[in-house]
Amino acid sequence: MTPSIILTDSRDPDLASVAARVPGGRAEVRPSAELAAAVGELHGVMAVVVTSPDPEVVRAVVERGRLYRVPVIVACESEPASRLAADLHADEWYVLPASVDEIDRRLRTARFRVRAAEVAEANRLERVGFESLLFDTTTRLPTLPVMIERTRALFKERGELVIFYLDFIRFAKIEEIYGWEKLDDVLGTTAEAVRDFIAREDLGDTRMMLGFTHDDDFIFFYIPERDRRGTTEHEITELVRRLRRFVGMRLEEEHGEDVAALFDIFVGSAHVYHDHKVRLERLIYRGVREAAHTARSIEQRQRARKVTDLRRLLHDRSLYVEYHPIFSAESGRIFGYEALARGVARTLRSPEVMFEVAADADLLWELSRLCRARAVEGAAEKLGEGQLLFLNADPHDFTDPTFGNFESIDPHRVVIEITERTAITDYPAFRGRLNALRERGFRFAVDDAGSGYAGLGSIANLEPDFIKLDISLIKSIETNFIKQNLVETMVGFAREQGAMVIAEGIESAAELDTVKRLGVPLVQGFFLQPPAGQRGSEQAKNGDRAAARAAARRIRQAGTLRRRK
Amino acid sequence: MASTYSSSASILVVDDDRDSAVIVRDLLEAHGYAVYVAHDGDDALTMFDEIRPALVLLDVMMPGRSGWEVCHAMKQHPTHGRSVRVVMLTALSAWNDKQAAIQTGADDYVTKPVDLPGLLACVKRNLALVGPPV
Repeated sequence: MTPSIILTDSRDPDLASVAARVPGGRAEVRPSAELAAAVGELHGVMAVVVTSPDPEVVRAVVERGRLYRVPVIVACESEPASRLAADLHADEWYVLPASVDEIDRRLRTARFRVRAAEVAEANRLERVGFESLLFDTTTRLPTLPVMIERTRALFKERGELVIFYLDFIRFAKIEEIYGWEKLDDVLGTTAEAVRDFIAREDLGDTRMMLGFTHDDDFIFFYIPERDRRGTTEHEITELVRRLRRFVGMRLEEEHGEDVAALFDIFVGSAHVYHDHKVRLERLIYRGVREAAHTARSIEQRQRARKVTDLRRLLHDRSLYVEYHPIFSAESGRIFGYEALARGVARTLRSPEVMFEVAADADLLWELSRLCRARAVEGAAEKLGEGQLLFLNADPHDFTDPTFGNFESIDPHRVVIEITERTAITDYPAFRGRLNALRERGFRFAVDDAGSGYAGLGSIANLEPDFIKLDISLIKSIETNFIKQNLVETMVGFAREQGAMVIAEGIESAAELDTVKRLGVPLVQGFFLQPPAGQRGSEQAKNGDRAAARAAARRIRQAGTLRRRK
Repeated sequence: MASTYSSSASILVVDDDRDSAVIVRDLLEAHGYAVYVAHDGDDALTMFDEIRPALVLLDVMMPGRSGWEVCHAMKQHPTHGRSVRVVMLTALSAWNDKQAAIQTGADDYVTKPVDLPGLLACVKRNLALVGPPV
């Protein structure tokens, strides 16, 4: 069927006239709010003409238009509105009033443009496809086809190739928490670490080479020395063990314990022997698949082991809590502490990992309860006069009937942090529970604000007392003026709402300086003071006090050095 | 080398509207910057690779590749992506648009229609963060 319908939210009869120039053509009118949905549902649409001045309507229609390759034309009330149409990637626009001929011309141009864009996109994909066939842009590592070409001769000559598949899990989590720039950095460090490992290992005549799968896994070729009978399983296990440790240490050095504890490397390997009857590429691809499969099954086994570790943790209450101070940006005094639970067992050190395992094993409530109980136990000693305890909670925690039953702490001193990342499914019920807790004296913070696309409206809906900015907004904020603008907007918005903004993840003097200048009242981060556990000895407590004093000094000084210059 | 960098910093202006590109070029040249002009995304990326500008003024609205796409590609550049400052010219100013801009790696934005003193201030504050050219 040739497309012949003009889909629109306008009652302009000229549109029907334009449509009628095509055999069987007609205009189909829908309310503005339903226009975007109709783009995918209605068959035979040749173009969409949108007249609504609401950017959200235009945006939605353009997005659907892109998806279904239907040209979108905006009929604008004024010249400035056409600018908006352009910024929102509309294919064409015209300013009202317009003649039937002009509308017809715009429609044709838009249809031509969509076709041209399709061709250009296909060309681009072809080019990008070709470039990325050879090297990965982030790690600068060769991809598999290049690796195969480079090892072809040697593999033939020596007859044996060992393929390692390095399966990195939870890399996506890093991106989710810290943003894509951080993940790019981490991938870069990883590639460098593996390269250094290869250079450092004294492997005689052995040849090794590293490549990247484009997702987040690495492939590693190993061609043993000339005069050897073959590589033993034991040698492979040893090599893998050293590699894991080397990469893990490097990541901890460069990106800190939190990042290093977040993910695991699983290495699978496969032996490939040269066979002149079988195509070399096929041999290698099969080997890669086999190695990847092995890596995945090791991961599965590890997962099962972690569930056992978690059950033991719950039974023994082997969980410790660190308290991360939140400072007043004005006075430098400690305003409160965020409680961070960590597993004692090395495999469960990272809270993200711990909760992921708990979710798998259906032990979320149990783990959350233990975390809260431990946090409150330690708080009695930690909290000074007037200081608050910030506790992390997940929306699912609110369905736990025991939630909020703390015996040893006054609810007025507790702030419950709800992350913006987890979707809240049943809003009215959630708000009901929230309000019941509020009546008992608890206060609330929206965590990771600005990480999703939820916008300010959904934050306002929760009526928070505190808004914690997402770390990705703070990272390098001193050089990014868009981030500065967003934070400034949030500070103003919070003020209107009667809430206080907290900037967490402050890692440098420049970041502290900037958020302070933007009017953020509360600050938290490693640059000020890292989280610390409960302190038994008087000496350790003195250490904490000295660290807090140093942080207070840094906060009070922030900005002054720059101004003096 | 003499510290002539602030007056010789190179700027790539990308705008398919030739008239406004000329206005911006004249303004920046009058302030001593070396200005290059591209009229579409593909041109811009080629010139970016050749001249390695300290700053790119990038119009969002362009036929073919959009400014967002070009910004993303520039920031992915293996050697120059980290140091270049990219300023977007856009009519959008909602919260979500700015978040999207951060995702593409943009450093700053100027809303259209462009106010020339504002644009100049924006260029200056961004170049102040770039080290001298290598």
